[in-house]
Amino acid sequence: MIERGISQDRINLLWSLVTAVALVFALRLVNLQILMHAHYREIAERNRTQILSQAAPRGRIYTRDSAAVATNKPSFSLIYFPGEMKSAEAMDGMARSLSHYLNIPFDDLQANLYRAVKKGAPMRLAENLSSKAMFSLSELKTMYSGIDIIVEARRYYPFGNYLSHLTGYISKMDAKEWAVYGKDKNYAMDSRIGKAGLEKMYERDLKGKDGGIYLEVDSRGRLSKILESRKWETGADIYLTIDSKIQSAAEEGLKKSNTGKGAVVAIDPRSGAILALASMPDYDPNRFVSYSDQKSSDSMKALPEFNVAVQGVYPPASTFKILSSIAALESGRVSPAETFFCPGYYDAGSRVFKCWEKKGHGKVDLIQGLAKSCDVYYYNLGIRTGALNIEKYARLFRLGVPTGIPLPDEKSGNIFGPSKRAANKSYWFIGDTLNLAIGQGETLVTPIQMAQVAAVIANGGIFWRPYYVDHIVNNEGQISFRGKPEKISQIQLKESTRAILKEGLREVILSGTGQSTKIEGVEVFGKTGTAQNPQGRDHAWFVAFAQLPNGPAEIAVAVLVEHGLHGASTAGPIVRDVVLAAMNGRLPERRVMVKTLPAAGLEAVAGSTMPPAAVEEDER
Amino acid sequence: MITASQTGLKKNRMDWILFFSVLALITMGTLAISSSVAVLPSHFRIIRTHFIAVPLGFMAFAAVWSLNYQIFQDQWQFVYGAVLLMLVGVLIFGVIDKGSRSWYHLPFFSVQPSEFARVGLILVLANYLDKKITKIREFQVVLGALMLSMPVFFLLIKQPDFSAILLTLPVVLIMLFAAGANIFHLSIILGYSFISALFPILWTVITLNPELLDSPLVGYFFHLSDFGWSALTFVFGVGAAAYLLWVLSVKLYSNISGVFFGGAALVLILGFFSGVMVKNQMRYYQQKRLEVFLSPESDPKGAGYNLLQARIAIGSGGVLGKGIFSGTQSRLGFVPERHTDFILAVVGEEMGFWGTMLVMGFYVLILGRIRICAKLARDRFGYLVNCGIFGMFMVYFCINFGMLLGLSPVAGVPLPLLSYGGSNLVATLISLGLVQSVYARRYALV
Repeated sequence: MIERGISQDRINLLWSLVTAVALVFALRLVNLQILMHAHYREIAERNRTQILSQAAPRGRIYTRDSAAVATNKPSFSLIYFPGEMKSAEAMDGMARSLSHYLNIPFDDLQANLYRAVKKGAPMRLAENLSSKAMFSLSELKTMYSGIDIIVEARRYYPFGNYLSHLTGYISKMDAKEWAVYGKDKNYAMDSRIGKAGLEKMYERDLKGKDGGIYLEVDSRGRLSKILESRKWETGADIYLTIDSKIQSAAEEGLKKSNTGKGAVVAIDPRSGAILALASMPDYDPNRFVSYSDQKSSDSMKALPEFNVAVQGVYPPASTFKILSSIAALESGRVSPAETFFCPGYYDAGSRVFKCWEKKGHGKVDLIQGLAKSCDVYYYNLGIRTGALNIEKYARLFRLGVPTGIPLPDEKSGNIFGPSKRAANKSYWFIGDTLNLAIGQGETLVTPIQMAQVAAVIANGGIFWRPYYVDHIVNNEGQISFRGKPEKISQIQLKESTRAILKEGLREVILSGTGQSTKIEGVEVFGKTGTAQNPQGRDHAWFVAFAQLPNGPAEIAVAVLVEHGLHGASTAGPIVRDVVLAAMNGRLPERRVMVKTLPAAGLEAVAGSTMPPAAVEEDER
Repeated sequence: MITASQTGLKKNRMDWILFFSVLALITMGTLAISSSVAVLPSHFRIIRTHFIAVPLGFMAFAAVWSLNYQIFQDQWQFVYGAVLLMLVGVLIFGVIDKGSRSWYHLPFFSVQPSEFARVGLILVLANYLDKKITKIREFQVVLGALMLSMPVFFLLIKQPDFSAILLTLPVVLIMLFAAGANIFHLSIILGYSFISALFPILWTVITLNPELLDSPLVGYFFHLSDFGWSALTFVFGVGAAAYLLWVLSVKLYSNISGVFFGGAALVLILGFFSGVMVKNQMRYYQQKRLEVFLSPESDPKGAGYNLLQARIAIGSGGVLGKGIFSGTQSRLGFVPERHTDFILAVVGEEMGFWGTMLVMGFYVLILGRIRICAKLARDRFGYLVNCGIFGMFMVYFCINFGMLLGLSPVAGVPLPLLSYGGSNLVATLISLGLVQSVYARRYALV
């Protein structure tokens, strides 16, 4: 033992303290590095990675007969990855030669390059490169380091304006939308989302999963290296119930009409499937796809986003006489054989109501009243039937409520009648009854509601919810959704009522106001309408359904031409074209050939999502 | 008591366990430093300095080891003089870096004299305590030791280098403790240091929570830091209270000595004065560090952020680590001071749990060996020197590990042998050379 006059207890005590502290540290390290490892690992990964996302191809949209109305095109973007610092002269030289090949102002390129280097973040120098530019760039890539070309999917609507109101369009998110979609990891700040129509309603199905280039960044967000690039997953394809030929006929018809504005809705009465849905004016959804903000916001200002077919409300005018007739026949207040005399006007006591035919129709029964659209007959019928009865049938035919088609912002129109008045604490006058009977006054309907009315008469009383998605095929080729007819309600009409009504509607086409729609070999039933418009020229209506002789009704159509003046002359030919398109191929020869979409272009786009050969020149 | 069977009969001149632990730590440190600075623009300069410092350190280690340590006891005046000269010199010739004048600027590298001063102070104190060991239980010896170290502290405050004070003061106390000083005397010193630290901490708490100032008592307390009238009343108040308590205790026939009351009042008042001094000398970033420790969420992007990033680095390493030269947190600059104070985060990230455990294991091993060497020392001076060096390593270990693991405040304290820093490395190797010198000259019998 070494005697130093100092006890060694104290250093032993200190040593115990050290071991105790070491034990605490060890436990803490176990907690940090073993138990909490996954948590910290995730934070560290998030710290260091940034994603340069590559938009996945959205699901394609096809019509019933396989025409692709929305597909994707490969779009090539030029990216600059700032690597090690470069001298200003080198960067200027690069900007100069790039500006030469890309045809972009030198100043813009230079500013972008400098910004990329300063922020240390990759920068899109140019988007949607032309194939010519691509060719020369592949040479430049070997000369200048840091520039690279990435491929992205770009939404492409091969037929432009075609079906645009149903497909909708995609564009950048606003703050409100970002609040919703931002929670989904699949969406980035600059992701495009559906803004209208199908693109909006089926956004999550169509979206797919974005690919991306994973970049490693340092603590100041500077790029250090490229980690990996992840392949995208395409979105689900949607197959519509729309028939491209019927749709073309509808759109062409509207465009050819005297004002070129309006809507056509064609429904299959057997299921509620929408066969055509056209609204004019329309737009080219391709214009919103552009990455340049300026360009898409310019288009935004002049966007005719208003879908007349489901959002436009108009007085039904004479097409409402169908419902007045049903009310009269069902209530038994008027016998179909009973005649009223039409001198060309109706004296309601305090005021004289005119018939559209100043000369008068003479003695008119129900069938003739419908065929000739005699107003005086319906004034008498209305008085006899009672406004309450007519209003009841308007409600039974679901006027005043949306049809339930899955499209944003459908309007419900307006019911006009004594009980509505009473609810609003106002009075009902005899003149109101007369107006109600001929579809003027305050009744307001959308074109799709009138198409629904035609479909219900055609199918004997069943209200199907209108639908337009036949099925959705996910990227594994499986059907993930199938549109099914959905019965909303049903009304029981007397067999005699339906027979008389059909006779009357057939007479409209054969000898009445709708003779422009006569088609040999097809039984068309319909009713014209001319909606008085105090603000301008009258709107033209035509509501119809058609069948092959002795077959079931196959198509119900409502056509509205804004300011089209006369239903018979303006809307009639459109109905005729639409019905012809629907019956195409099943009629005797010597029919006028229906205009179809260019088949050749269609195949190329529908064939594959990303045909490398299909790089088309765009505006740039 | 140590017997021959415990240590072996053969007399080694070198404690190889300690030496290899040191070698292992320096190797791990070199790897971690090269990895963490590889992406820095100044990496060449840092690596070059490190590779100058390592051989320099080993040369110093060998030189001190071969020298009989007792010469430092004989020539303690020169050691003391050199320490003071170094610290005075740096105040005149030193360069200012981060607000402190703590560095001599030489070609190729800089020298931080406070690192060497600490080792020097250990030698001087060991000599003093050795001489006074018979009277160690008396207060004047404790005071004497403090007086001896006071000039050093004073010069460190002048720089100012609070990290050095934070490291040196506990070393002095540990030496006194190991020498057998009265626990009561040490608690007075501890109480004094505690109060001098407590005042600035409380004032910082009040600045962080201004609503506390609504209470007049807190307001009065807060104004003490101004050194105005309230401070005067405080001093007299404390004195009067101590006097009254003493009178009361006399009346109650208690046998508590008057020294106790006088001493307590004196400690409180002196602690208050130093507290004010510390507060006024504190740099902005030091103030900030204190605030972050007291309320980590007050500054998520500042010091708290740094600590959090360091913790993420350690945690993300897992059991096996991400591999040397593959740590994302440290290499991409998320971990601050990665090659100096936060080097353990780099080790934790790149070498994982085994890496940190290995570092800790070597540290504990070195501490254990220093303790063994102390016990083997042939004289009291050698024993006390080893105790001081033991204390130094203990303080480094506790503060640096504790800081990274969130158990002590963020202080600019490196991890010796691992961190980058030439002066620290050389000074540490000198201190270990002293340990070896003591070991080499132990009694041959054991």
